[in-house]
Amino acid sequence: MSTRRPRSLTGSTISLPTDTVHRGRRRAARSVVVLAGVALLAAACGSSKAPPSSSPSTSPSTTSAVSLSSLENWPTTAVSLQETGSSLLFPLFNLWVQQIAKDWPSVTVQTASTGSGAGVTAAETGTANIGASDAYLAPAAVQQYPDLENIPLAISAQQVSYNIPGLSAITHVKLSGKVLAGIYQGTITNWDNAKITALNPGVKIPSLTIVPIHRVESSGDTFLFTSFLSASDPSGWTIAPDTTVTWPNVPGALTAMGNGGMVTTCQNTPGCVAYIGISYLKQATTAGLGYAALQNKAGHFEAPSPASITAEADSFTASTPSSGTVSMIYGSQSDGYPIVNYEYAIVPTKQPSALAAQAVKAVLAWAIDPTGGAASTYLGQVGFVALPTAVQSISTRLISKVSS
Amino acid sequence: MPAGVTPQATSERRPADRQAARRAAGASLGRRRLTNRLAWIAGALCLALVAIPVLSVIWGVVGRAVGNWHWNVLTTDTAGNGGGLLNGIEGTLVVMFGVAVITGVIGIAGGLYLGEYLPADRGQILRGASEVLSGVPSIVLGYVGYVVLVVQFHWGYSLAAALIVLSILVVPYVTKTTEVAIRGVPTAYREGAEALGMRSGYTLRKLVLRPALPGIATGLIVALAIAVGETAPLLFTAGFSNKAPTGQLTHSPIGYLTYLVYTYFNVPAASAHALAADAALVLLVIVLLLIVIARVLVSMTQRYSPDRRQRVGRAPT
Amino acid sequence: MTADDRTTMVAEPPLVAGDEAQRADARQTSDIPPQAQTGGPTGAGTAPPAQPGGSGPGGGSPSGPASPWWRAERLMPRALRGVAFLPLVALVLILAALVWKAMPAIRYNGFGFFTRSVWNLGGSYSPIVTTNGIRHPQGATYGALPLIVGTLQSSVIALVLAVPIGIGTALIVVEKLPARLSSGVGFFLEVLAGIPSVVYGLWGALTLGPFLAHDIAQPIANVMPNVPVLNFFRGEGPNNSAGNGNGLLVSGVVLAIMILPIIAATTRDLLRQVPRPTVEGAVALGMTDAEAVRAVTLPWVRAGVIGASVLGLGRALGETIALAMVSGGSPGHIATSLYGAMTTIAATIVTQLDSAFNDVSGLAVSVMAELGLVLLVITVLANAGARWLVRRVSTTALPVGRGV
Repeated sequence: MSTRRPRSLTGSTISLPTDTVHRGRRRAARSVVVLAGVALLAAACGSSKAPPSSSPSTSPSTTSAVSLSSLENWPTTAVSLQETGSSLLFPLFNLWVQQIAKDWPSVTVQTASTGSGAGVTAAETGTANIGASDAYLAPAAVQQYPDLENIPLAISAQQVSYNIPGLSAITHVKLSGKVLAGIYQGTITNWDNAKITALNPGVKIPSLTIVPIHRVESSGDTFLFTSFLSASDPSGWTIAPDTTVTWPNVPGALTAMGNGGMVTTCQNTPGCVAYIGISYLKQATTAGLGYAALQNKAGHFEAPSPASITAEADSFTASTPSSGTVSMIYGSQSDGYPIVNYEYAIVPTKQPSALAAQAVKAVLAWAIDPTGGAASTYLGQVGFVALPTAVQSISTRLISKVSS
Repeated sequence: MPAGVTPQATSERRPADRQAARRAAGASLGRRRLTNRLAWIAGALCLALVAIPVLSVIWGVVGRAVGNWHWNVLTTDTAGNGGGLLNGIEGTLVVMFGVAVITGVIGIAGGLYLGEYLPADRGQILRGASEVLSGVPSIVLGYVGYVVLVVQFHWGYSLAAALIVLSILVVPYVTKTTEVAIRGVPTAYREGAEALGMRSGYTLRKLVLRPALPGIATGLIVALAIAVGETAPLLFTAGFSNKAPTGQLTHSPIGYLTYLVYTYFNVPAASAHALAADAALVLLVIVLLLIVIARVLVSMTQRYSPDRRQRVGRAPT
Repeated sequence: MTADDRTTMVAEPPLVAGDEAQRADARQTSDIPPQAQTGGPTGAGTAPPAQPGGSGPGGGSPSGPASPWWRAERLMPRALRGVAFLPLVALVLILAALVWKAMPAIRYNGFGFFTRSVWNLGGSYSPIVTTNGIRHPQGATYGALPLIVGTLQSSVIALVLAVPIGIGTALIVVEKLPARLSSGVGFFLEVLAGIPSVVYGLWGALTLGPFLAHDIAQPIANVMPNVPVLNFFRGEGPNNSAGNGNGLLVSGVVLAIMILPIIAATTRDLLRQVPRPTVEGAVALGMTDAEAVRAVTLPWVRAGVIGASVLGLGRALGETIALAMVSGGSPGHIATSLYGAMTTIAATIVTQLDSAFNDVSGLAVSVMAELGLVLLVITVLANAGARWLVRRVSTTALPVGRGV
């Protein structure tokens, strides 16, 4: 444990070489722009200039040198890894872990669904080998913990679920970012509000109080959802996207713990609307919740489906920097679903032991390997989509940097 | 009630007696009888209001768990949205054992010192500290354990952090019950032993600790019941593991039953709900067992205690 | 008088125990060599032979002043003294850690912490700034008022419900029930006290909450007029909704059940100390037994019952996990309705601590420490007050800790 990275919990600054700090600041500024929802600008920015990698020591030329199979070097000595964080990634990790336990019994991976915030925290404090998060690391976190990297593992999406009794299950109520912003601000309080019925001609929506539900703990889903609100309604939704935000006070609004809690709470609350990760879509549907078709930037209403998710994600492949950090919210793809994201493994590049590092690399490399964990047999079960080849090689290079 | 007035004096001086007597004289006997009956019915209602929640909790948990109970939850580990409780049960037992050892040593030694070596009017700071500690909310202990032991000391989620925090939580209880039990041993025993020239250590072991033992054990068992039922401090110190405890003191999270209840009850899957209910049932069984053992021990002590005679003498007619 | 009773009882050992003591004495007299009786353990062979089932390192072997057991015996009080100080040491260390951790937050928040209703962690994706020497994310504003109000609200509801029921139960048990039944009720109370709070949370969330919301709260909310005070019993939002079962009312009821055993058991023990002749005298003067209870018994135990209630309050204030499961709220929201979502200090710490570590400036973690400190001060004051009240009037010590 003596090799653990320096870190500070008392709030003191870790001294960095000045150039790194400057780069961090510049990157920070750019990320804010991305977050402000000007996705186009971000895309242009990302593709025109070579984005700086989070570690200056690795140059893009090493990309070709690393192959996935070379990283999938499973240890034969027994080793136990901790994975914790995102409840959205949790169901997929569980599928993976069961397969890993079967094929490589010496590697034990313990999973926990604690929320993205906790995943990042666990990676920062070293209580887990792999933290799972739907949101990429904040610039300030990158600066504070230079050894952390966010490795894209798969493409996920977020649906907006609702509980409207009597509405047929195959109907997808059409909603826009503006309407959702109004709901979460308390200006739209009933399902039969003119702004909702105007989007849904021919659908009979009952008069029912809307109960917006949001996450109580720090969550990547909150980050994604508020990013969508900011991007699609920049004038109406003024709260900056974040993993925890100060929600406007809406009478009757509820909170829930984890994506699972969102489904359960929504199920118990007629009139609810909730943002829930795609990996809970099946459970939400079983619980009787419908999900909305969201208006994308091109004005089309899209429900989350492998096709609409892939379309959206593909449009961001070129703009994904080598650090893997990119917002894929509200892109301009005409047939894309507007809330799409990379699921990240937040990994300390300095693992407690060589054995742990080897195991982490093997697990993560196998996870993004199309013949391994990225096979549709796994991803399909949770509604995820595999990474495009270009992003996969970015992840591969990030994984290769893990050491002890 | 003005400060400094003893209750005895109050009840004699209070005008309530006179008022009641005057009212009694004024009201008709029938009405008073009715009021009397209504008052006791209200009391019985209170008793029912205590009984109903207990039964509802037990029925709610047992009903949920027994409905689709499979014995193999006791023999398999937690996996994904379901699986079994084995890791949780093992972890809970390990934590119980550790807490029993630590609080057994520290709590009993502390109680022994307070009860046997300190006069009752001395050591108020120690007793006060114990009482204050017993009032510290468990989440505050969890916070300190997490920030200091898990993060600052780099222990990670670990058995050591969990044991320290849980022990701090229940040690005041064991100290107190030990002290009370030891003070309950008649001074005449010690005086007699001293008069006979018996060594103090021998007196302590044979004449003080032995009669006090059931009381001490009761305290320890109740402390264990408290520790077993804790969630908040464990969340931040033990972490959670879906494997059996590794035996490492640090850098190895450990599973426990309360986590399974807290986390799985709102996972939207039938298997998760079943697991949470099963975990709650096992928790209830463990706690009930501990309470029953404690009660048996108490009844053993009471057989020899003056208290019982007093109560029997006061038995209502 | 009661104290005198006790001393007499103690001074006069009960028969059976006395028998045992005599037997032990007899054994002893024959076992101990003469020199031990006259001059203490000066020679060899002073240690009494091991009794069947006896323990101790010195048992059976010759031991003098130099033997380890003898030395241990002399060191014993000192060793015990050291151990007895451990709780004090732990308490001081805990306080020190809390204050040390809370300092930045105390300086940053100032007194406004207790008057503000905002809970804003600040932008974790925006740069860290420094105010008054404290590093914090931009826009971080913390106000604990809703948490303090929520903590007090739920605890007061718990007291209002639990105190009368607890006293009524204790009265019935002491005055009316036969001894056998009353010990059964004692067992019930112990079970009630022993049920883990997480099980109460589960029950509150799955059984009690939905029942209260649908069958109790909604009918009440429907008939309550919208006038001050009474509108607290109305639902939230335009449709007067009494919520989905999570909120203030459920929290209060669950807390009430959790503190019932403390109040009932302590009151029962106090009632047993009321001198019988006084009560019997009142009955002899022609009072009904209910009148005797009102005129004699209750005034006698009043201060003790208040003490027990305040102790219960202390427990309710600090309860964490059950409230995290049923309060349904997030920080920054004061319940305007009895059924509304709320949260408490303790529940906030447990749900937000993981997320707090995402604030790399460390301020959020520090705020959690400040919250812990506030909670600690409130509960310790309640506890100390309770003990002071009970000590003043009775020899019965209040139960320590979380048991009965």
